[in-house]
Amino acid sequence: MDKVISTLLAVVIAIGVSAGIWVVANLVFNQARRNWRVFNAIIFASTGFLVGALLAGNRLTVGSTTPETGGFVKFIWLPVVAMVAMGALGIVLVQANEPRLRLIISSVAGVAIGVAIGLLIRETSHPAIDVGPLIGWTVGGVAVGGGLAALRKRNPLPGLLVGAALGFVLGGWGSADIGAGSVGEALVASVVPAALLGARYGLSSNPDAVRRARIDTGSRSFIFLVPALLFILATLVVPAIRTLVLSFKDRTSAEWVGLENYTETFQDRNTWNQEDWTNMFTSRLFLIGVPLLAIAVVVGSVSKKRTGKAVELGNPTMAPLLGGFFFVAFAAFTAFRGTIANNLWWVLTVVFAATSMGLTIAVLADRSKHEKLAKSLIFMPLAISLVGASVIWRFVYAPRDASQEQTGLFNAVWVGLGRLSTGSGLPTIIIAVVLGLILLGLLVLVARALVRREWGAAVVPGIFLLLLGWFFIRYVTDGVGGFVENEAGVVRASPIGFVQESPFNNVWLMVILIWIQTGFAMVILSAAIKAVPDELLEAARVDGATQSQIFWRVTLPQIATTIGVVVTTLIVIVMKVFDIVKVVTNGQFDTQVLANDMFNEAFSNFNIGRGAALAMVLFVSVLPVMVFNIRKMQREG
Amino acid sequence: MSQFTPVLTDPGDVSYDDGSTPVAQRGVVDRVYGFLRRIPASFLWIIVIIWSLPTIGLLVNSFRTRDAQRASGWWEAIGELDDLTLGNYRTVMDASGTVSLGDSLLNSFAIAIPATVIPIAMAAFAAYAFAWIDFRGRKGLFIITVSLLAIPLQVALIPLLQLYVGGAHLTLPFIDKTITLIPDLDLAGQTTAVWLTHAGFALPFAIFLLHNYISGLPKDLFEAARIDGADHFTVFWRLVLPLSIPVLAAFAIFQFLWTWNDYLIANTMVGSNPDAVPTTIRIANLAGDFGRNEYLLPSAAFIQAIVPVCVFFALQRYFVRGLLAGSVKG
Repeated sequence: MDKVISTLLAVVIAIGVSAGIWVVANLVFNQARRNWRVFNAIIFASTGFLVGALLAGNRLTVGSTTPETGGFVKFIWLPVVAMVAMGALGIVLVQANEPRLRLIISSVAGVAIGVAIGLLIRETSHPAIDVGPLIGWTVGGVAVGGGLAALRKRNPLPGLLVGAALGFVLGGWGSADIGAGSVGEALVASVVPAALLGARYGLSSNPDAVRRARIDTGSRSFIFLVPALLFILATLVVPAIRTLVLSFKDRTSAEWVGLENYTETFQDRNTWNQEDWTNMFTSRLFLIGVPLLAIAVVVGSVSKKRTGKAVELGNPTMAPLLGGFFFVAFAAFTAFRGTIANNLWWVLTVVFAATSMGLTIAVLADRSKHEKLAKSLIFMPLAISLVGASVIWRFVYAPRDASQEQTGLFNAVWVGLGRLSTGSGLPTIIIAVVLGLILLGLLVLVARALVRREWGAAVVPGIFLLLLGWFFIRYVTDGVGGFVENEAGVVRASPIGFVQESPFNNVWLMVILIWIQTGFAMVILSAAIKAVPDELLEAARVDGATQSQIFWRVTLPQIATTIGVVVTTLIVIVMKVFDIVKVVTNGQFDTQVLANDMFNEAFSNFNIGRGAALAMVLFVSVLPVMVFNIRKMQREG
Repeated sequence: MSQFTPVLTDPGDVSYDDGSTPVAQRGVVDRVYGFLRRIPASFLWIIVIIWSLPTIGLLVNSFRTRDAQRASGWWEAIGELDDLTLGNYRTVMDASGTVSLGDSLLNSFAIAIPATVIPIAMAAFAAYAFAWIDFRGRKGLFIITVSLLAIPLQVALIPLLQLYVGGAHLTLPFIDKTITLIPDLDLAGQTTAVWLTHAGFALPFAIFLLHNYISGLPKDLFEAARIDGADHFTVFWRLVLPLSIPVLAAFAIFQFLWTWNDYLIANTMVGSNPDAVPTTIRIANLAGDFGRNEYLLPSAAFIQAIVPVCVFFALQRYFVRGLLAGSVKG
């Protein structure tokens, strides 16, 4: 508790100080326009203080100490003296308007500052000047300064002076042997650049109102932007670049290994495993999916004859086509294993399921009296953490030993179904009758459609009729659900390990994310549906369109862009899925995904190179979608 | 079209939605048809119930004793209403207990509050500059900033952890001297490391969201203020901030929920320090600790969820607005 309070206190102080600096900086730059003399004095004085503090704080000057070791007074005298002297110089320079006088004052002041610094530098910091590099750096600086000025088509003299000064500093201090030199060398190394910079400042005149306004605006944009941009640079840009660099180094970042981390990642059996891919042709999913696709082809060709279009939003081809596609895709994903296959499976399933569920609920809620309540309840999972959601679903999936009562909802239903379908009591018969009635209803629907030659209306009920009929036959004959019958004919419960049994445990993990993200899709799509102009719907109604025609032909095309936004957003969210996998399985039982793999490699196995490479793979795989998103957003903004 | 109005497809089809037709005049067929018409509406409520069941199950279980939870499913609590107890909540919040969720709740607040407040302030400054201060390179800088939304946070985690552990140092080329850009602030395992990271990651999104709003404020307002001699600081403080309350609230809620519910960043930065972990990690650890304390999970998860759910229901309006604009956050 104390620790938390002290932490919060530190945060408040840090925020207060930062805010204070920011406000003061704003107030100072307010003076640039109003009162140049005050502004100039403040700027000069603070520069003096900063330079003094840097020199003294780094113990570069004679007798200086840091505030911690030598006491505050010993530390502060130099910054304060420098502040006062520079402040005075600033006021003097504001008074001097005549160009030649300005140049003289400024240059002399530069020399004086240089002498002061040269004399104050302590002996251990005297540079032993190496003439060769000094000339080299200075010439280089002159070339750069002059070149830049020439490129910008300006008077070259200021650029030359600044370039020479910076080159002289780099040559005189940077490439010298610090501590081996004499006072004279220190004087040379500090007086020359200071004089050059002084001369440069002396060349400029006191700014007029226009330039002062420009200084105000320019510096203001700087003050307003710098906190955010520095933060972004430190926490996002530089780390991202560094991760790229680290991905080319070995596990402790000691040696360069080229692309090894990437090639190893992609050759790893855990990343991509196609050994058993032929299994997909024998899987039950495949055997359901192919006939569905065949139905789609038949329906499509008939549809083409009648309306000229084989596939169209809301036409009878869509249902078997989509159904067949998903069955075959799932068959493929149960055969191709590995992290990449899992990620793709996640994206396909969650994005499709969450978007279509969200759309369905949005449409249904739009017609409901208690729209707000229904939407809030669907939406609520979005406010719960992914960890919390994983815990919630862990209890839904929980399997218990066959001898105990099932406490997880799914297994209770599954085992209960097994008991019902193998039993012979009244509930068993009631369920059978209800199922039979539903089947009969479906049969009537199909028959009616066929008799009326509205064959398109028969497709969807027909598919349901086949699936439910198959279930019904199983129910009344062998039985369905969670049970096993041994040779003696004794029936026992047989729960499903939803989290443990590969490969479908992946789907049960996806259900958690679908449960959460449906609310997101619903809210966004609901807003879009409400924005469809009423006149359009009214016009369609007057023309005699049915409710479903209005939905497929009017509403859906109107909200197509929004569906695109939902889909792309979900793709990015799902690609980066981490929490659910981490908490529920930690990648065991064939459920590994990229983000969790990256986390485990970097922070559990301490293989920095591999972790960085996986992070870059993740980055590259979401990049196209994000680029698309951002471009779209910028067009709209 | 808040009300569902059936379309006349059959000549015999009559709409009853307005309820003006007396029941006695309806035929049996019409009545059945009317029932069928209402199925879509009931379908909605079936979905709502299915969607709520997992949460209801958790809530019910959180009030059942360990033995009751192990003996039967939560749906059987109806038969044993007298046995419901607050004991799990007491055990979970007990500071000396094995779970001591109380500490981690404070940690969660210590992370979520600064991680929400700080980026708001910085992003508001930057958004104002991008929107209303005319400086060179404004457009390009803005595009670059917004483009950073594309970077998944995983990409920055490893170097950030290294920064918090050892500071940042740069070896200068040619003259071969190493300078310290950021000293080792000893942030490893501290909540500060978590909210600093959150604050940085939130900024591009926050700038984008706030800029959209602030740049849409009426131009006359600013011109009038400038003519009156107000400087940028005054305009920002007196005009822009008060006018931007709705978007600031939208971002604040979004960011608060995001940081409160975060697991990845917290696990990376403070996962190894049990004193600094937020609730998400405490609960994830409890879930990994199979068997013994499983009966405490429902109450712990419920306490963890109650804060964001309350925030969400109280400020739903703003949250939806933020979500609509923020569907791009990576």
